[in-house]
Amino acid sequence: MSYIKMAQRNLWRNKRRTVITISSIFFAVLFAVVMRSFQLGSYSLMIRNAIEQYYGFIRVQHPDFTDDPSLENTFEIDPNLPVKISKVPNVKAVTARLETFALASSGNITKGVLVLGIEPEAEKQFSNPEQFLVRFTIPMAVWDSSDKKLALSDKVRKVLAAHMGESFTDAAKLASIFKDQPIDSMQLNQILHLSRVQGRFISNGDSGVVISSMLAKFLNIQVGDSLVMLSQGYQGASAAGIYPVVGIVRIPNPELDNRMVYMPLQMAQSFTNTHNLLSYMAINLQDVSDKALMATTDSVRKVLANSGLDVKTWQDLNKVLVQQIESDNQSGKAFLFLLYFVVFFGIFGTVIMMVHERMHEFGVLVAVGMQKVNLALTVLLEMLMMALIGIALGYLVALPIIHYYHIHPIRLTGEMAKMMIDMGFEPLMPMAPFDFYVLWQGVSVIFMVSPACIYPIRKILKLKTVEAIKR
Amino acid sequence: MAIIEVVNVDKIYNDSEVKVTALSNINLKVEKGEFTAIVGPSGSGKTTLLNLLGGLDTPTNGKIRVGDVWLNELKGSKLIDFRLRNIGFVFQSYNLIPVLTAGENVELIMQLQGVPAKLRKQVAADMLGKVGLADRINSRPAKLSGGQQQRVAVARALASKPQFILADEPTANLDGKAAENLLQIMEQLNQTEGVTFIFSTHDQRVVSRARRVIQLEDGKIKSDFLQ
Ligand SMILES: Nc1ncnc2c1ncn2[C@@H]1O[C@H](COP(=O)(O)OP(=O)(O)OP(=O)(O)O)[C@@H](O)[C@H]1O
Ligand SMILES: [Mg+2]
Repeated sequence: MSYIKMAQRNLWRNKRRTVITISSIFFAVLFAVVMRSFQLGSYSLMIRNAIEQYYGFIRVQHPDFTDDPSLENTFEIDPNLPVKISKVPNVKAVTARLETFALASSGNITKGVLVLGIEPEAEKQFSNPEQFLVRFTIPMAVWDSSDKKLALSDKVRKVLAAHMGESFTDAAKLASIFKDQPIDSMQLNQILHLSRVQGRFISNGDSGVVISSMLAKFLNIQVGDSLVMLSQGYQGASAAGIYPVVGIVRIPNPELDNRMVYMPLQMAQSFTNTHNLLSYMAINLQDVSDKALMATTDSVRKVLANSGLDVKTWQDLNKVLVQQIESDNQSGKAFLFLLYFVVFFGIFGTVIMMVHERMHEFGVLVAVGMQKVNLALTVLLEMLMMALIGIALGYLVALPIIHYYHIHPIRLTGEMAKMMIDMGFEPLMPMAPFDFYVLWQGVSVIFMVSPACIYPIRKILKLKTVEAIKR
Repeated sequence: MAIIEVVNVDKIYNDSEVKVTALSNINLKVEKGEFTAIVGPSGSGKTTLLNLLGGLDTPTNGKIRVGDVWLNELKGSKLIDFRLRNIGFVFQSYNLIPVLTAGENVELIMQLQGVPAKLRKQVAADMLGKVGLADRINSRPAKLSGGQQQRVAVARALASKPQFILADEPTANLDGKAAENLLQIMEQLNQTEGVTFIFSTHDQRVVSRARRVIQLEDGKIKSDFLQ
């Protein structure tokens, strides 16, 4: 009869109590892992959308550009520099950009836009906007039944009307708007045919521009239309131009999708009269952990020593985003702390009951010759087993869930989706994959059970045999 | 040499408002192989005396020797270990660990003593046989009658090969027949194997089986005789 076996049997002695205790640990772990996974998943999505697909993890720029991102704070570089930077370990891609603001108009609609002069080939390696090229846009047609040419049901027309002007990068994404209203493949083919967009991404030396999908919808622009742009150029010169739109991209970051105009770097430089000046060079990384980011930033600084340029991390430049993530992260942790605190009292209550029920038994054991330390150990073992079973069950259920929703993120629809888009987030709720945060939940439970163990241990070590037996 | 010697022992409970003198000026010797009953009315100090003999409690004054050890010289874990190797206990009720079978309850004490597993199994079966419960070795206490549970407790005490077995009102919760049966088994063990028993009781029928009767009254030995 080993102590482990004895602890096991003791667990089954009051089944209901054990089941309740284990379940409370199970639910706490399950909830904590899933909640943390959602949180951390949303942070990494935010970072991926904002940083990897546009901002860059590290930026090289004029020292005054942070405070005043105007054309006056631009710089010229040695053409070998990007190559040198790309050779720094952990650097995935380097791209040079000229960035400015402009008014864009089409017909009598005008909107402020972000003009990004890019090196199209380098940019493909960097943020790869080409992957977001729009292939389908639901036309701004009148989707009512008066149109007899299309054999569409009223419900399908209603869905189309609700998505008027919305763009999609592939047919499957377009088809997904019909997930609550199934349609047959003939109708879908008809819709795809009507929605098809012939666009392409700009290449080096191109004479056209690519604009983002929400901007295109706002300005009511299609591929082949022209975009008129007005701005202030370098050193007060005025800048104006008219450019053919050769493609539309749907950028997953709604804030950017609202106002982006991509043009080849040389075109942007001649538009703004900046000759060969750049706003910044952006760098993406293989390993994006904080530690790797710091190390790579230092290496890049060494490459750029004496150039008079600043090397900044995305965290330096996006204090608001970092703070948002940090405060959300802290409140998530505080919530979990509260959760574990509540569970702790549940467990503590069980432990007190258990000890009082077994005082006589403890007395008998010590009387016949069991050392108090060993007795305390068996009780400790019992509680540890309870905790471990709860943790294991929690993991058993939580891990497949987070794995599944990591690979198939939940896509929000309706009001929730609108709200998130309005706040500038992609309406996706991905879960973070398995990582240390999962292990931390188990460790937290152990930390929580430990103080609950102090009670029985104290009770046993201070046990007065004669009194315990009398009970 | 007597296996138990009690010298000028007083036990005074001081922890409540009123001072209770549970035992006063007890002097006593118990020889190996005795079958001794401690009798007396409720509150006369029987349990208190047995607890002192078993090293579960300490006298206020005086001292007690078990074998060649003066109990007041042992403290804490040394005292627990001494009990494990020298004294068998049978309490009034709920002696057994409910999650262990009869056999495992008997084995447990040998496990604490460090007896190897194979020998433990053998001895446990043997001891349960001696108390007439060979066929209940795999039963949990809840499945045994009160009398059977007390017999398992005797088997457990026996398995530890103690110098003597203390039993505080072992028959108090048993009906006449079961009490009779338990006493018979104890008596037999005493006669055939020379096991020393010291038990307290209220029950006149139990008293009549004892060879030596120590009568307590108000914490004092009123009489001490062989019958
Ligand atoms: N822990 C204690 N604190 C105070 N007084 C106690 C304590 N234990 C026992 N007593 C008192 O000591 C006296 C002797 O008690 P004890 O239990 O030894 O009697 P007993 O002969 O075993 O009685 P019974 O036949 O009822 O079991 C009683 O007056 C009792 O009230
Ligand atoms: Mg008593």
